[in-house]
Amino acid sequence: MEEYQIEISEEDERQEESATKKVLKWFSKNLLFLILPGSRLEDLTIRQMEYEKLISKRKFIRRLKSVLTIIGILIVLAIVTLAIFPHWISPYTFAEVGRLAVYTGVWDPPSPEHLLGQGAMGRDVLGRIIFGARASLTIALPAISFSVILGIMIGIIAAYYGGWLDAVIMRLCDILLAFPGLVLALVFIAIWGQQIQYIMLAWGILGVPYYARLIRGNVLQARALPYIEAAKVAGAGSWRIMFRHILPNVIQPIIISFTFDIGGVILGLAGLAYLGFSDASLIEWGNDINAARVYLYSAPWASLMPGFMILLTVLGFMLVGDGLRDALDPRLRNL
Amino acid sequence: MSMLKYFFKRILAMVPVIFGVMTLTFILSRMMPGNPALAMLEAQGIAKPNPEVIRAMEKALGLDQPIIIQYFRYLADLFTGQWGTSVSIARNQPVWDLIMQRLPLTIDLALFSMLIASLLGIRAGVISSTHRNKARDTVVRGMALIGVAVPVFFLGMLLQYLLGFVFPIFPTTGHKNFIYPNPEFVTGFYMIDSLISGEIYKIFDYLYHMILPVFCLSFITLAGITRQTRSSMLEILEQDYVRTARAKGCKERDVIHSHALKNALIPTVTVIGLNFAALLTGAVLTESTFGLAGIGNLLIFSIYLTDYWVLSAVVFLITLIFIFATLFTDLLYGILDPRIRY
Repeated sequence: MEEYQIEISEEDERQEESATKKVLKWFSKNLLFLILPGSRLEDLTIRQMEYEKLISKRKFIRRLKSVLTIIGILIVLAIVTLAIFPHWISPYTFAEVGRLAVYTGVWDPPSPEHLLGQGAMGRDVLGRIIFGARASLTIALPAISFSVILGIMIGIIAAYYGGWLDAVIMRLCDILLAFPGLVLALVFIAIWGQQIQYIMLAWGILGVPYYARLIRGNVLQARALPYIEAAKVAGAGSWRIMFRHILPNVIQPIIISFTFDIGGVILGLAGLAYLGFSDASLIEWGNDINAARVYLYSAPWASLMPGFMILLTVLGFMLVGDGLRDALDPRLRNL
Repeated sequence: MSMLKYFFKRILAMVPVIFGVMTLTFILSRMMPGNPALAMLEAQGIAKPNPEVIRAMEKALGLDQPIIIQYFRYLADLFTGQWGTSVSIARNQPVWDLIMQRLPLTIDLALFSMLIASLLGIRAGVISSTHRNKARDTVVRGMALIGVAVPVFFLGMLLQYLLGFVFPIFPTTGHKNFIYPNPEFVTGFYMIDSLISGEIYKIFDYLYHMILPVFCLSFITLAGITRQTRSSMLEILEQDYVRTARAKGCKERDVIHSHALKNALIPTVTVIGLNFAALLTGAVLTESTFGLAGIGNLLIFSIYLTDYWVLSAVVFLITLIFIFATLFTDLLYGILDPRIRY
């Protein structure tokens, strides 16, 4: 009897927490449920839940431990560090490598003060490379998030409801997928202008049909499983079934594709910048390559070094994507 | 019989997509900034026209009619080959002629790259999967990984620098020695025309110039095909029927080629078809790097110089090529995999 009364008072204490805390808890719980393997709602006892979490995380991390994947994770961490803390790492400040800096020694070879040589207007190539990491990541991530979120919603809705809605949405996706990526991105930029937000929007729109297609196949398979019928019988509405029951089970290929797509969008951004269709005032690897293009024979460091950085970044993301794919579903193992 | 039905179904499925592509191209080309009538007038030499002249030109171009009528006229023009007139790239030259001058080069580039990438990629994937975790496998996987991650233009510039400047072996730009005049126009394809006109040295010159661009483009497509072949071969080599074939006493070569590879080719062919889009994209970047006058270069310059009609025509053409490549892959898939025909 006394224990029961203590439980009531604990619940009373728990209701003291603020609304923001409650919202944050709800948000984090649902996000973890969607993304991490092993997060489950409290329909199991606490002990069973802890055990499940431990087992699946252990399996996941064990499968993740391969040399190439660790190299990939290290490369990605290095690039992210360059993107977040360039001011600490770069030998020159942002003003000294930025748009308004002009120095002597334009296109000079590598020297002790300029480890990778000097580029346009005498700016340090190494400093520009370090500051350029930000641009790629900060343009790629919102674009891909946009395509993933919109693509998931469209794909699940199309596959769940089926019928004419499915047919229409898939037709539209087919039409959009019929255009090669760079071509459509070029057309969008020709229409809207060469600013960063339009570049992000262009790549975002291009990714939507791909993710919608990807998730539609899995949702069609998952829709026929018995637990969906059970949820319907229990009275769950369509949206609840779609986003609470189906989504966590079909999200694995999306996560893998997400990682590969980051590499793809970085390549696409660099390609656009190389052709000259990006914001020229941005410190980006592609912009540097474009500016140094005509000086390839006399100053190869200025164009080949940023290109090598692009290669390294995309390689890191590809390795992480490969490792994730092998860890999440050993049946798709490439190793 | 079911093969023919499958073919018809696939072709029929392409028709709404092609219409959708034409509609989207129309919408996008109407959304471009700038007045096409103004651009046309400037091309004819009138710098600052009166509003009346602009309106007259709009009427001549059919731009003052309701948008539905414009749409149907656009479709009609697209089918009859009147794809407009170029205003800034080649003054007053019909777009059709401009494209037909440049298309053979891009087709050559894409065809050579695709052939080399498919043949070599499948070979490399087979080698990599049969000698698993040995030296050959690691080398092939490493190169495939680099090929998937490398930007085309970086590879192109690196090759231009190393093999064109440091060790001047290969030419770095253009598709022919600029001294040689073009052969007489029969088909538009440089190699075929040179063969017909009997100037064999031009063929060798052309191949010599195309080595670097084709290498760049095929390296990247090769990487994707190798990865896909390798993973499907690995999956298949664990299957029971391969073990049965070995137990029956088949030569190892037959086991791999006749039994395993035939089944592994099925998803590989799909990947080859999908990679065609990457090939067209890569062709744009490669043509820009190596200074080749192909469709990709036309696309870029039409955006730089805001050449309205050339842009919409080139976008439509590139998409059409891609759609037909996908259709071809689907048909090939139907031939290779009897399961989906029924």
